Amino acid sequence: MKNLLFLTLKSIRYRPIRSWLTILGIIIGIMLVVIILSLGSGIQNAVARVLQSFGSDLIVIFPGKETNPFLGFAGGQKFKKDDILDLKAISGVNLVMPMSIAILNTEFLGEKKSVMFHSQPWREMRIISEESKGVSLIEGYWPGNDETREVVLGYRAAYKLFKNKPKVGDDIIIKGRRFRVAGIFSEVGLQDEDNQMYLSHRNFEELISRPGFASAAVITAEKGSNIDLVAKQIKFQLSKQEVVSDFSVLTPEKANKVVGDVLSIIELVLIIIALISLIVGAVGIMNTMYTSVLERTKQIGIMKAIGASSSAILSLFLIESGMIGAVGGIIGIVMGIAAAYIVSLIAAGLGIRGLFSFASLDFLGFAAILTVTFITGILAGVLPAKQAASMEPAEALRYE
Amino acid sequence: MTEPISNDGKIDPVCGMDLIELPGLAKSSYLGKTFFFCGDKCLERFQNNPEKFQKAPLIKLSKVQKVFKIGEVETRALNGFDLHIWEGDFVVIIGASGSGKSTVLNMIGMLDQPTSGAIFLRGQNIALLDDEARAEMRSKTFGFVFQQYNLIPWLAADENVALPAIFAGKKIKEGELESRFQEIGLKERMRHRSFELSGGEQQRTALLRALINDPEIILGDEPTGNLDSTTGNKILEMLINLNKNYGKTLVVVTHDADIANKSDQIIVVKDGRAVRDHRVHKKIYTE
Repeated sequence: MKNLLFLTLKSIRYRPIRSWLTILGIIIGIMLVVIILSLGSGIQNAVARVLQSFGSDLIVIFPGKETNPFLGFAGGQKFKKDDILDLKAISGVNLVMPMSIAILNTEFLGEKKSVMFHSQPWREMRIISEESKGVSLIEGYWPGNDETREVVLGYRAAYKLFKNKPKVGDDIIIKGRRFRVAGIFSEVGLQDEDNQMYLSHRNFEELISRPGFASAAVITAEKGSNIDLVAKQIKFQLSKQEVVSDFSVLTPEKANKVVGDVLSIIELVLIIIALISLIVGAVGIMNTMYTSVLERTKQIGIMKAIGASSSAILSLFLIESGMIGAVGGIIGIVMGIAAAYIVSLIAAGLGIRGLFSFASLDFLGFAAILTVTFITGILAGVLPAKQAASMEPAEALRYE
Repeated sequence: MTEPISNDGKIDPVCGMDLIELPGLAKSSYLGKTFFFCGDKCLERFQNNPEKFQKAPLIKLSKVQKVFKIGEVETRALNGFDLHIWEGDFVVIIGASGSGKSTVLNMIGMLDQPTSGAIFLRGQNIALLDDEARAEMRSKTFGFVFQQYNLIPWLAADENVALPAIFAGKKIKEGELESRFQEIGLKERMRHRSFELSGGEQQRTALLRALINDPEIILGDEPTGNLDSTTGNKILEMLINLNKNYGKTLVVVTHDADIANKSDQIIVVKDGRAVRDHRVHKKIYTE
C-alpha cells in the first residue's frame, strides 16, 4: 500500500499542471462549503444579538412581511401614530414606543452631513433600553422630556462622523434648527445604528413634512402577561386600521425563528451551489482520469507485463483520484477558512463583528468534508480505473 | 496434468511442429520408438540429448488461434500454432513483420489470451487461468525485455527496476539495487529517469527489471532492435550469459539472423503458423 501510494505520487507529479487544475475544481467547491458553514452561524449570531438587544418581553410592529423587517422599516407604508398609541389600551401592554426614521441635513461647526435620524419618545426608550440592556449612555444624560431641543448621538455619529467630534453640551444644527447634544450612546456594533442620531418624536415631527405617522413600534408587555396573547390582541386591533394593510407583529421568539428560517434558506441555496460545484469538480476528476488512463495505456500494459494485477492497477488509479479529491479538500478547507476570515475582517471594519466562527465547523466537520472529497474522488475514478484495469496487457502495450 | 510426448510421427518432439503430410522427414529411434523431425537441426538436438525430450516441455502451445477484431474486420494472427520450448533453451522466433511472431511471444508470456487452443506451462493450461492468477504467474515466471525498453517515464531507473518486486509484494534488500546497477555499470545513473538515459542504458535497466524477481523464463521482443550493433551485442551477450550460466530459458523474437544462429532452437512463423517446411530451418542455418 505504501508503495502504491509512492507510485501514485510519482505519476501525479509527472503531470503537475493537469493535476493541479483538477484539484482546483475540488478546491472551489469545498472552499464555498467552508465559507458558508463558518460564516453562516456567525451571521445568525449577529442577527440574534441585534434581536436580543430589544429584550425578551418586546413586541415589534412594522409594515410588510415578517421576512423583510428592515425593508418595511426603511420605507413604504407608515402607521398612523394615533393607531399605534391606541394600543396602550390593550391589557397586558406596558409601554408603547412609536418609531420613525428620516434622513436630515445636519451641520456641526460648519461641516454638513446627511444623517439618519431615529425618533421615539424618550421616556419609553430609556425604560426599554435599560430593561433590555440594549443601548446605554456612555456620556451625558437621557433628555428629561420630549419638548426640550436635545439630541442623542449614536457612537459613530459622535466619534466618526465629523472632523471635530461633537461633545455633550455642544450645539448641532439639524435642518436649520439648533439642538443641544444631551448624550452619546454606547456602540451597538451595527454601522446603521451607530451612525444614527436620536430625537424625540415631538422634535422630529417639526422637522419632517408628514407628521403624525410612525414607521414601526416597540411595545413591552407587562411582567407575567402572556406575550403571545398580547401580540395576538395587538394584531387584531391593528387589523381594524386601514392605513397599513399588510403588517407584522413580531415577538422575540418568532423573530428569531424568522431570521433562522431565512438564513437556513440562504444557507441551503449556497450549499446546493457548493454541491453542484463539487459535482463539477468530480466530473473534472473523471475527465482527467479518463485522459490519463488513455495517456498511460502503454504504461498500464508495461506494469501488467511486469506483474501488476488488475486490482493493483485499479488501486493505483483509485488512490490517484482519491488523493486528488482529498488534497482538493484540504486546500479547499484552508482557503475557505482564510476567505471566511477575511470576509469577517471586512465585515468587522463595517461594524459587524464576530461573523467568523467554528461553531458549525468543528474537526468532525472537517473530517466529514475530507471523507466526502476523498470518496468523491474515488467514485469519479472508478470508471476510468476499471477501464485501465480491464485492458489486456498486449493490447495496452501496442497503444502508442 | 503433464502431457505425454507424442511419438506417433505427427509431432516433432523438439520444436512441436505438426508434421502431417510433410514429405522426407528426418527420423531417429530411441528406446524402441521412432521419432520424426521437421529438419536436421531438430534431429541433431534430439540425438544429442534424447532423455531431455522424453519429459514434458516447459512451454507448449497447442493449436493456438488468435483472432483480432477491430470493428468489423477480423485478423487471424495465429492459426493453429504449435510449439515446444524446453527448459534451459535459448529459443529464437523469427518471421516477417505481421507474421504473428510477437503474438506468439505474448501468448507465452501471458500478455494475451488465445481465442482458442491451449498454452501449457509445466503441463498446466495457463490459458484457462483468471486474471489475478495470470498476473501472479507473470510476475513469478517471466521477465520481459522490449524493443522500446518500456521504462515507466515518471520513475527513476532504480524505481523501475524495483517495480516488479513491488507488484509481487517482495522486499528488496538494502543495497541490492546499488550492487545490481554496479554490475551493469550504471550505478551513477540509477537515480535518473528514463529520458535522461541512452538507449543502451535504458535497455540494461529494463534487463535488470526483468531479472529482479528471478524469473525462470526471459522473454525478449526484439530487445536489440532499437540499438546500434555494439550496444545490441552487449545486451545480447548479457541475455545469452543468463541462459548459459544461470540456466534461464530465453525466448527472443528477432529479425536478426546473427541472434538466430546462436540459439538452440529456431521457430519460423509465417501466416500465423510455425512453418513446417524443414528446408526453411536449413536455409536459415546455412545463411
